[in-house]
Amino acid sequence: MLTIEDLRLQYPNGTLAIDSISLHLKAGEFVAVVGPSGCGKSTLLRAAAGLLQPTSGTISRKTDDVGFVFQDPTLLPWRSVLRNVELVAELRGVSKADRRGMALAALEKVGLAEVAKHKPRTLSGGMRMRVSLARTLATQPSLMLFDEPFSAVDELTRGRLCDDLMALFAAEHFAGLLVTHSIAEAVYLGGRVLVMSGRPGRLLGEIEVPLDYPRKPSIRFDPAFAELTSRVYALLEGS
Amino acid sequence: MKRLFPASVVFAIVIGIWYLASTVFVDEGLRFLLPTPDAVVRTAFLNQSNLEELLAGLALSARVALTGLVLATVIGLVWAIVMSQARWLEHSLYPYAVMLQTVPILALVPLIGYWFGFGFSSRVLTCVLIALFPIVANTLFGLRSVDPALRDLFALHGAGRLTLLVKLQLPAALPAILTGLRISAGAAVIGAVVGDFFFQQGQAGIGNLIYIYPRRLQSEMLFGAVILASLLGLAVFWLFGFVARLATGWHESQLNPQPTGGTK
Repeated sequence: MLTIEDLRLQYPNGTLAIDSISLHLKAGEFVAVVGPSGCGKSTLLRAAAGLLQPTSGTISRKTDDVGFVFQDPTLLPWRSVLRNVELVAELRGVSKADRRGMALAALEKVGLAEVAKHKPRTLSGGMRMRVSLARTLATQPSLMLFDEPFSAVDELTRGRLCDDLMALFAAEHFAGLLVTHSIAEAVYLGGRVLVMSGRPGRLLGEIEVPLDYPRKPSIRFDPAFAELTSRVYALLEGS
Repeated sequence: MKRLFPASVVFAIVIGIWYLASTVFVDEGLRFLLPTPDAVVRTAFLNQSNLEELLAGLALSARVALTGLVLATVIGLVWAIVMSQARWLEHSLYPYAVMLQTVPILALVPLIGYWFGFGFSSRVLTCVLIALFPIVANTLFGLRSVDPALRDLFALHGAGRLTLLVKLQLPAALPAILTGLRISAGAAVIGAVVGDFFFQQGQAGIGNLIYIYPRRLQSEMLFGAVILASLLGLAVFWLFGFVARLATGWHESQLNPQPTGGTK
């Protein structure tokens, strides 16, 4: 679904953000990338989406149907929740009737159909993030990119949103690439966890997560889960 | 009511000080320098023919200010939108917007008179020149201040410049545009009064009257004209504040309601 080979990305000011990263994401696979702040995780994701051009290396996607979930909900405050969820379909030229149906279905999936007519400012942070998820899900993209999507909410909400994302992944079967600085989040959601070094970002290693999907929230307290997070932590510390 | 009360108290204090100053500190023979508030009201507002003269002048100035404001808004929006499309366009055009703001309007008056005559058109042009910059500057600021992540979202899904402008930049810039419009509306009233001073052909505006009354030692009428001109400025400022509240109720600068639910 997504193949990145020997990606190197340098900003115009000379900062080398990413140095030689390769990864392959298969259809229906969920991969998490974890690394310290400023290691180029978001840059990697923006390049994968086509928002940044690589300095060298190649990025190939098998689909143009890419969904991107940002760090913040990035909703249009002048639009209702429903019209926000319609936005991606609208930009892609989907007819009004069709996109309304898509948006309502997506809001049902994230459990927010009852606030469809509300303005985003009347919602809590967690609800806004769900609306953002619904907006991305509405067009049912086959590749979803997540840029630390839950970093702006409190710990409890973050855990619940992770559970929601797990349920959505199990139901929708999209390919997902998540960047995060939370080791627990990466292990909980990822089938594989890729560990990045500090700037310039390089891949330090990859850890398989042999836990079956869909994973239950309680798996976080499983000794196997703890062992996997320890391994990721050790790899990060080694950097 | 809560908001009107402090303003009413200040109003009462100002009237009291005015009354005191004109009756205690100004000699009766020199009362024309500062007529009492009640004399102003009697002469300027309760005398039918005087009031009609003032209102006719005010109506003309309001028409000049409104025409100038509409033109300044259209020109200012287009100017800012063009500049927002590329940095080189901004660098090419912005210095001229700044120049418009900084050049003394008095220096342009003779030229405006030569080119456009000394009547309505020149008064409107004076308004446009005075009202243009706040709209240009605020609109450009608003268009440039869009969340980069939202720009990315639009770019990711293939939105062109027009879609980006209509569906993202202009709505996001609306609070800034309306702030600029509010400042420009007040400036347009000043422009209309200033224009009256220099372009006196045709029907007299409120500025013409302000120019004429002191020369006839009609102090009460002068104060009446100044009060009406100030009220016009206040009225347009309030009007655009009201429009801003209606149009940008979603913006943080407006209401701050409680969330409807928990984190779920």
